[in-house]
Amino acid sequence: MASVSATTKYVRPVLSLNKNEARKRVLALYKLWYQEIPQILLDTSLPVTEKMCFDKLREEFRKNANETDIRVIDFLIIKGEQDLQETLEKWKNKGQLMDYFKVTVEKKPSDFLGKFLSGQD
Amino acid sequence: MLRLPLVRATGLSSSRLGAVGLHTTGSKSQASQELVEVFIDDKPVQVPPGTTVLQAAAKAGVEIPRFCYHERLAVAGNCRMCLVEIEKQIKPVAACAMPVMKGWRVKTNSDLTRKAREGVMEFLLVNHPLDCPICDQGGECDLQDQSMAFGNDRSRFTDIEFSGKRAVEDKDIGPLIKTVMTRCIHCTRCIRFASEVAGLDDLGTTGRGNDMQVGTYVEKMFLSELSGNVIDLCPVGALTNKPYAFVARPWENRRTDSIDVLDAVGSNIVVSSRTGEVLRILPRVNEDVNEEWLSDKSRFACDGLKRQRIITPMIKIAGKLQSVAWEDALVTAAKALQTVAGNEGAVIAGKLADAEALIALKDLFNKLGSEVLATEQGFPKDGSGIDLRSSYLLNNTIAGIEEADVVLLIGTNPRYEAPLVNTRLRKGYLHGEQTIALIGPNIDLSYEYENLGDSIDIITKLKNGSHPFSATLKNAKKPLIILGAEQLTRKDGAKIVSETQALANTLGNNVQASEDWKVLNVLHTNASQVAALDLGYGSTIEDVKQQQPKVLFLLGADDANIKKEDFPNTFIIYLGSHGDQGATIADVVLAGAAYTEKTGSYVNTEGRAQQTGAALTPPGMARPDWKVIRALSEIAGHRLPYDNITEVRSRLEEVAPHIVRYGDVEPANFFAQAHELAKQTGGSFLPDPVDIKQKTLDQFFMTDVISRASPTMAKCVQAAIKQRQTEL
Repeated sequence: MASVSATTKYVRPVLSLNKNEARKRVLALYKLWYQEIPQILLDTSLPVTEKMCFDKLREEFRKNANETDIRVIDFLIIKGEQDLQETLEKWKNKGQLMDYFKVTVEKKPSDFLGKFLSGQD
Repeated sequence: MLRLPLVRATGLSSSRLGAVGLHTTGSKSQASQELVEVFIDDKPVQVPPGTTVLQAAAKAGVEIPRFCYHERLAVAGNCRMCLVEIEKQIKPVAACAMPVMKGWRVKTNSDLTRKAREGVMEFLLVNHPLDCPICDQGGECDLQDQSMAFGNDRSRFTDIEFSGKRAVEDKDIGPLIKTVMTRCIHCTRCIRFASEVAGLDDLGTTGRGNDMQVGTYVEKMFLSELSGNVIDLCPVGALTNKPYAFVARPWENRRTDSIDVLDAVGSNIVVSSRTGEVLRILPRVNEDVNEEWLSDKSRFACDGLKRQRIITPMIKIAGKLQSVAWEDALVTAAKALQTVAGNEGAVIAGKLADAEALIALKDLFNKLGSEVLATEQGFPKDGSGIDLRSSYLLNNTIAGIEEADVVLLIGTNPRYEAPLVNTRLRKGYLHGEQTIALIGPNIDLSYEYENLGDSIDIITKLKNGSHPFSATLKNAKKPLIILGAEQLTRKDGAKIVSETQALANTLGNNVQASEDWKVLNVLHTNASQVAALDLGYGSTIEDVKQQQPKVLFLLGADDANIKKEDFPNTFIIYLGSHGDQGATIADVVLAGAAYTEKTGSYVNTEGRAQQTGAALTPPGMARPDWKVIRALSEIAGHRLPYDNITEVRSRLEEVAPHIVRYGDVEPANFFAQAHELAKQTGGSFLPDPVDIKQKTLDQFFMTDVISRASPTMAKCVQAAIKQRQTEL
């Protein structure tokens, strides 16, 4: 092999062919969740308000805001759809849904005295 | 009997010593001489005449293997490992002892050289036991390394008679050094170290050839304040660290560069730790401070770091100290601090306090309105007091001591107060024909000195010229005065300082030595002292006693001079690492970190700022000292404005910039001004004779909380007392 020629890397798409299509799918998934939240709350009687759920939904989507790889976005969409299905079919339990809100996780102290007393320096 | 002659006994001049490869910072005259060109493996190198082949090779970047040669000891030339071939010479020569000649072509890797090395190696191994798997030197053994690198790959040693290898009886030379004399390869480094550096002619050889043995001639312990260094010097496992025996292998230890704080020299050390404990302490080379030696206290007191530790905060409930949570202890302490109005609080800083804790505590108490900040070992306030650094530093630097020609020690025993300062004095005595005189009791300094008596007014007599020794002082080209910090705690301390300054000033004017030669030097014994004085801890314990503060904060202050009886109505807060004198009298005990557990800044007696490294985390609930003070300040309602070590250090930099310039000596000046101010100091000398706390070896080992908690140090004290009794 004397010379190395430049090759274009071609990867098979998962769902979307371009960025625009992926974006559309994301928005669709968001809309779907948004529409279903009142029903989910009715079905599960979670100790949260609708507003909190909407905020959490936005937060969860925003977590991946910086994702640029279309294949990764597609996988995230598939995962989101699966999650939605699991929620609607009540395959997910109350605790699993509450896990989104992390109510039992104690926040680590960030001030000096808090850190000192909790023993993490 | 082979005894390496002392330099003075043979009357060698210092230039001759330089030629045989001893470190003499004083002899710089060689530089001006013509250089000789030699070729090491055909590589030309220019060296001054008198340089040995080994040194020339080192200059060319070739390391010749050696066992007996050590650059800080006299040349013995008896191991023969450094044999090299020189072109047009029939026999290989010992590189460590042979001065180079012009045009010599040294072959360090020729067939002849290799054969010579293999032969030497073979002879050494024939007489060396095969116990590397159970030898403590394993992994850091010169013999192991060099037999791998330069030895033959097959053995001719077949013991067909099964007579066994050479075996030598082990010697008991004290609680610090374990001997397995069968492993000894007779390099005589330990003997040379003992007689040259430690000044103790206890070690020597008996017998010849195969029967040669290294040991103390009679059954006796090798007790010296520097004895541990022979462990490092021993190229094999003949002399090993007794408390560290069978504890760990060197490659499994974590090494942390740090600074020793058990004396005011600030020796550079490496802390070897594993499984959350300090296993041993080794010296680190720093030519300006400790060269490559370390005192026994610094080296062996490390087992005191795991005993008597304060691992939780404590409050005195019904006359008993009880372990409590941090919240409770801090709130109790803070409540006491809140009662302080104006100048009703006081601080006494102990020996081992780091600059970070000192500045945090000073800031806190100044916020409370209190100004009485004392050090365990007070410094007189008269004259310029602590305002001019030149009054309390070892101004001429530790390395500079070697160059002096006349040294006057006032009320100090450098041998035990600062063993590595004493090695410099001894070096100056041996190599530079230093004349040393002492005002103080009769003590053994490991070299000859003139005892001028133990009356303090000799200082004045020396100044006036009415003392017989003042002629010697006046004729000195580079006179040096070393004043023991211990004397300054006397009632007439101020007078001692001013008179010493006056004497130094007369001498300085008299000799017209170079600008940077500083006659006046103060030798401290406490590691925290210089930093504390730099930061403005100007009071003494007496001031605190007079003030009768409402709240007294002891920052690791465990001095026997601080008693509860003196402070009947005082709330005492103790912050420190060990349960000792200070903790027992305290109402609240806060758990602090020892020097191996925190990154702390220290300034040594010459004014060199250095920092310790945290090898471990503090045990239990203990925290680095400045953090405790910072937390306390917040609860007491006077929040200090720093949350991490960087911010504390920038605060330190605001107050005393030199403390964070690690590794550098910040020289002091204004000697004349200090002298002028000191002239106003009135008073007169007390008739009490000059006394020194540490006069004999048993008084050396236990001086601070760490060494007092150390079982090894306790054994040393026992051994030293026993040895003295048998000698009487």
